[in-house]
Amino acid sequence: MAAAARPLVSVQPLPGSLNDMATDHVTTVALPDVMKASIRPDIVNFVHTNISKNSRQPYAVSKKAGHQTSAESWGTGRAVSRIPRVSGGGTHRAGQGAFGNMCRGGRMFAPTKTWRRWHRKVNVNQKRYAVVSAIAASSIPSLVMARGHRVESVPEMPLVISDSAESIEKTSTAIKVLKEIGAYPDAEKAKDSQAIRPGKGKMRNRRYISRKGPLIVYGTEGAKLVKAFRNIPGVEVANVERLNLLKLAPGGHLGRFVIWTKSAIEKLDSIYGSFEKCSEKKKGYVLPRSKMVNADLARIINSDEVQSVVKPIKKEIKRASLKKNPLKNLNVMLKLNPYAKTARRMALLAEAERVKSKKEKLDKKRKPVSKEELAAAKAAGKAWYKTMISDSDYTEFDNFTKWLGVSQ
Amino acid sequence: MSCFDPVKWDPSWHRPCSSIHEELPGNCLTGPGKRPARNQGHSYLGMGEEVMVAVPESVLKKQKREEEWEMAKKQELAATKKKNAENRKLIFNRAKQYAKEYEEQGKQLVQLKREARLKGGFYVDPEAKLLFIIRIRGINAMHPKTRSILQLLRLRQIFNGVFLKVNKATVNMLHRVEPYVTFGYPNLKSVRELIYKRGFGKLTQQRIPLTDNSIIEQGLGKHGIICVEDLIHEIITVGPHFKEANNFLWPFQLKAPLGGLKKKRNHYVEGGDAGNRENYINELIRRMN
Repeated sequence: MAAAARPLVSVQPLPGSLNDMATDHVTTVALPDVMKASIRPDIVNFVHTNISKNSRQPYAVSKKAGHQTSAESWGTGRAVSRIPRVSGGGTHRAGQGAFGNMCRGGRMFAPTKTWRRWHRKVNVNQKRYAVVSAIAASSIPSLVMARGHRVESVPEMPLVISDSAESIEKTSTAIKVLKEIGAYPDAEKAKDSQAIRPGKGKMRNRRYISRKGPLIVYGTEGAKLVKAFRNIPGVEVANVERLNLLKLAPGGHLGRFVIWTKSAIEKLDSIYGSFEKCSEKKKGYVLPRSKMVNADLARIINSDEVQSVVKPIKKEIKRASLKKNPLKNLNVMLKLNPYAKTARRMALLAEAERVKSKKEKLDKKRKPVSKEELAAAKAAGKAWYKTMISDSDYTEFDNFTKWLGVSQ
Repeated sequence: MSCFDPVKWDPSWHRPCSSIHEELPGNCLTGPGKRPARNQGHSYLGMGEEVMVAVPESVLKKQKREEEWEMAKKQELAATKKKNAENRKLIFNRAKQYAKEYEEQGKQLVQLKREARLKGGFYVDPEAKLLFIIRIRGINAMHPKTRSILQLLRLRQIFNGVFLKVNKATVNMLHRVEPYVTFGYPNLKSVRELIYKRGFGKLTQQRIPLTDNSIIEQGLGKHGIICVEDLIHEIITVGPHFKEANNFLWPFQLKAPLGGLKKKRNHYVEGGDAGNRENYINELIRRMN
């Protein structure tokens, strides 16, 4: 990921009383590569949860608690439970249950020990990744605003102020500077949010809570600005060489509002290096590479390289339709066998024809026969009989003469 | 995630620094921005006043590609339509020809019978070439050899039916599975009704209903069978591609016979149901289809 040209961040000049800035107007600084690192809230969260355990002080109950009796169980047969009971007499305490976690005055279940593992080891690379992510996130206005900082009136993100700020000695000038650069609303918000903590923390030396304001990061060691800014409620100060994840991502949430001084931001390059160049201060450390260089999926998908090999969208998806029975449904039958229509038509016509002719025949038969027709039928019968006799050879046979009634 | 840049804070802060686009890979340099359009997009207002239209190159290319696709699709559609129309005529004629053929066969049979009766003899039907087998017994308690034979016949389920060619091999197979099946000689009506109502084809190992001739063409087109009527004809007159046509047909899943079976455990000749029942299979098919 070779950054062709790194964007420039302009350094905010400070108000007139600090004169060395007034001479050269609006210098700029190239954006350090750290701010381009990938932002990994998962890593930051993991590292933060583990790192925040490291400043814990151990607590435990006294190891003698609950055992400073010589209690013994009375055993069975005395109509009492078998819990060890305090020996002796003459006082309330005699015969009371002891030792068990369920007993009054007994020791707790699993007494807490000081040798509980309080601190957590985190891989150095992970810790550095988290810090780098947090720094990158601090340069993105949306993330900073999402974390809750009031950065509406800040002229530019990341906010860089000139080095003359490092020699500020008075807190009053510090506040004036904050007002000039538009960071005061954030500090104000922190001041307004001071309240008494709800809950038992109140009585455990954590009485007051408030929001976090801006984090001022300076570059030169022993700068006077530490003393000037540290008393402003909500404002914190840090040296660029010793950046703390717990300050850069309070609560494990990315996007602390950071105010850099010019020398601080110039040092960032040498402290963290770039994506190809090793860091000078951290041996062999190179900024982490992201999984995707260009994470803008929409842009990639719609780019010409991808679209030129993509197949057309299938808008009409054919789904299996219900199978209909062609023997019952004529249209489906016709889809399969177009001849079926003519076949059926011919069958119907033939049936109609058959019905008609049968009807005609029956009608004719059921009609009463007229006298002429009757006479004609009878005559025809007789004539046929006669021709039958005459045409046949039966007259030559003796056997048949008797019943044929033939006369020569 | 890595390409965020310092944003100049305007009250309308949506405008990123233009320098960001230099860092993106490839030729995606066609970010939005006002510049004169390259290929198209010159729109003229009034007299020769050019309006700057931002038309990214990728969009133009995409438009062209889509046009090409549309044209190709339209051409394909027209071609298939034409082919379908031709096919339709062909199918119609074939169906007509088959109908005539069947009618002739029927008439011929009647005529031969009458002739024989006239002469005082008897007409003996030729031995059937086609069988329809239905499995009538269930899955359990079966000898493994008969089980394999039934699997070979594709009768894996009770009341499954398949067509079968008659030859020495198949007849011997049937002999061994007789108690589990009933079979006989189907007539045209049986074959037609089975294929139309319960016909499913085997396409890429899937059981696809025969709702369109294109399915049959896909499966059996290379044997010249392109429609249902062709398929029926091939099955009934055990044609040269009977094997492929029959195998294309998934085994028929029939319903349990209305009116019931007589007695599964016995052979048909004993008053039961198993074995060869010759022409009476048609009556059973009517009840099971």
